[in-house]
Amino acid sequence: MPVFKLDGVEIPFEPGETIIRAAWKKGTEIPHYCWHPGLSIAANCRMCLVEIKSARPMALPILAWDEKKKDYVETTKNKLQPACQIEAAEGMEVVSKGAAVEKAQGAVQEFLLLNHPVDCPICDQAGECKLQDYWLAHQKKLKRKDTEPVHKPKAVRFGPTIVYDAERCIMCTRCIRFCDEVVGDHVLDMRERGNRNEITVSPGRELDHDYTLMTEHVCPVGALTSKDFRFKARVWFLRSTPSVCTGCATGCNTWVDYDPRYQRVYRLRPRDNEAVNKFWMCDDGMMSYKRFHEDRILTGRARQDGRVVEVPRQAAIEGAVKLLKTASKLAIVLSAQASNEDNFVAARLGSALQEKGALGAKKLYLAALGGWKADKILRNADNNPNRVGAVMVAGGAGLASLEDLVKAVDRREVDAILSLGWAASEGVEQLASLANVPHVNLSSNIGPLTQVATLVVPVASVAESSGAFTNAQGVVQTFKKAVSAPMGITSAWETLLSIASASGVDLSMKQLSDVRGALATHSAPTSVGDTAAPAE
Amino acid sequence: MATYKIKKPARTFGDQAYLPAIAKGLAQTFGRLYTNLLGPEDQKKTATVRYPDETREYPERFRGVHRLTHRADGSPRCVACLCCSTACPAQCIYIEPAEYEEGDAQHGYERYPKVFVIDELRCIFCGYCVEACPCDAIRMDTGVHVPASHQREHFIFDKETLLSIPGRDGTYVTANPRHEPGDASHPGIDRAKGH
Repeated sequence: MPVFKLDGVEIPFEPGETIIRAAWKKGTEIPHYCWHPGLSIAANCRMCLVEIKSARPMALPILAWDEKKKDYVETTKNKLQPACQIEAAEGMEVVSKGAAVEKAQGAVQEFLLLNHPVDCPICDQAGECKLQDYWLAHQKKLKRKDTEPVHKPKAVRFGPTIVYDAERCIMCTRCIRFCDEVVGDHVLDMRERGNRNEITVSPGRELDHDYTLMTEHVCPVGALTSKDFRFKARVWFLRSTPSVCTGCATGCNTWVDYDPRYQRVYRLRPRDNEAVNKFWMCDDGMMSYKRFHEDRILTGRARQDGRVVEVPRQAAIEGAVKLLKTASKLAIVLSAQASNEDNFVAARLGSALQEKGALGAKKLYLAALGGWKADKILRNADNNPNRVGAVMVAGGAGLASLEDLVKAVDRREVDAILSLGWAASEGVEQLASLANVPHVNLSSNIGPLTQVATLVVPVASVAESSGAFTNAQGVVQTFKKAVSAPMGITSAWETLLSIASASGVDLSMKQLSDVRGALATHSAPTSVGDTAAPAE
Repeated sequence: MATYKIKKPARTFGDQAYLPAIAKGLAQTFGRLYTNLLGPEDQKKTATVRYPDETREYPERFRGVHRLTHRADGSPRCVACLCCSTACPAQCIYIEPAEYEEGDAQHGYERYPKVFVIDELRCIFCGYCVEACPCDAIRMDTGVHVPASHQREHFIFDKETLLSIPGRDGTYVTANPRHEPGDASHPGIDRAKGH
């Protein structure tokens, strides 16, 4: 691979790559606003100006003050060039530090901040704003302009999810390019010129496609803010944990941003993964964190005489042990929303209980959501994160649907059910038969399956547990525990293991590593590679 | 090495006898007692005050109980930026920000604290919150303590309580002027008004 030199460090590049991209791949950042690895090159912010040394540099004739002569003298200086636009060449020497470049970067910073309101205290970007970072890194000077800055529209509603502040905008056009190039919907554009420049929505339109929150994410400053996250938290209080989106079978890599003081998740951000989601996520995926806190089941629930009463978690576990012990024809319902570990332990517990019981027939079913609108960008038609994983756990054969289970219950072929998760495409009415037999459900949220259960044991959500999903491509992707589950609740596989030990079944698994080890020997991995990123 | 001879003070017969010196000392003590108890007011030199009937004036930079300053219209100057709670080493400040309603002159420009709570029991009165505030919205210039109480709840000061405490000068505002969006003094111009 050919190499060029950036500040004396050799950087390999593929022919055709720009300086900034090759440096970014190596992990060296050249300051930039408008360049984004997933978008086209605009070269309008001029922050990435670098000096390119060559035998015949592009020289500009300038007048410079000569202290000795006490006069201006004619001289030349090297013309700086944008690193985002210049293709790297073999043996090229690039200087991104030093007096000339730093002066240019400081000047660009000052220019961008000329009419900036500097309302960092009330700006949601504060703490992760490039204007702040680069001001500290490259300018660190007060503004010389002493007149009133130009005022522009603030808090403009762009659509149901996004609010725009023109005063904070630096016109990098990342949001426009994102909508044009990734979504293919030219809904944003620029109007006016110079310091009256602002981003507008196409006439008669709203910013309402499926990827609107990504425009906020690509915005390097606080111009675009998400209505959901606006004013909710300050980013410096948040910590990030690598996770996987539960929205659909694509399995976009995410960062779960949570406040450790309140153990509350505030947002999901895409985590770069060239193989799966590149740099993007869809709106529904980014909003799927709401499920971590809404409609949660935090205590056990038992159906007694037709009424649902809340019971302590431990009592629910003991009740589950009792129900499962008496069963002779147990059906196990795996969940396409649950992790590989959860499904695996559920299936193992099921077969262990079956061996003890009279009937040896393995009855595995799959509960899954019914699907949603797919597109060619990221959204998979299957809105379950782990259908492939659940099928793999069951030995690769197709799993029977809940409809089959309802029929089996009606035919009295099943006398007890152990189900995972809340999700089901069927409604409560369709699943009503499942309430006719003793039915233990392990769930984090309220859903159709929990409504028809005799006993619900609360378990941790995805943000509160560690595990892995297998996406539609067959990539096994692990997610890590971000926040602690309230009230001593444990993840489904841990809860299932405690049910197993209370039932006198030895699954010879105690920790996550045991489960993963057993899972690996159980099924030949179909993974292309574990793509979990290391912690930040 | 140089040496110094220290001469002991010579004792007179009067010193040696002790009794005259004791009498002299007691005369001073009882003379002061008489002046402080019964003497004229301007000659009294008592170091104590009759607390709690009387209290001492605190120095000007004394950090007393917090207050939230007002704007001209009585609303809090606080924009709920959470800088104070970030700076707070005791983590005693809890704020929930909210946005001004659509149609409000401040809508879009600023936010305000929906909830602003200071746990005065946790507070260590370091004054970092006042230093951190970019809007001069929180001040400790009240010159008074947190009132004593037997109940912990009485030390949880909410927004209304904090807004109701005046500064030492008796007012609720600060000397630092502020031009609000919508005021005639606010220099901002929007697209409707033209550039």
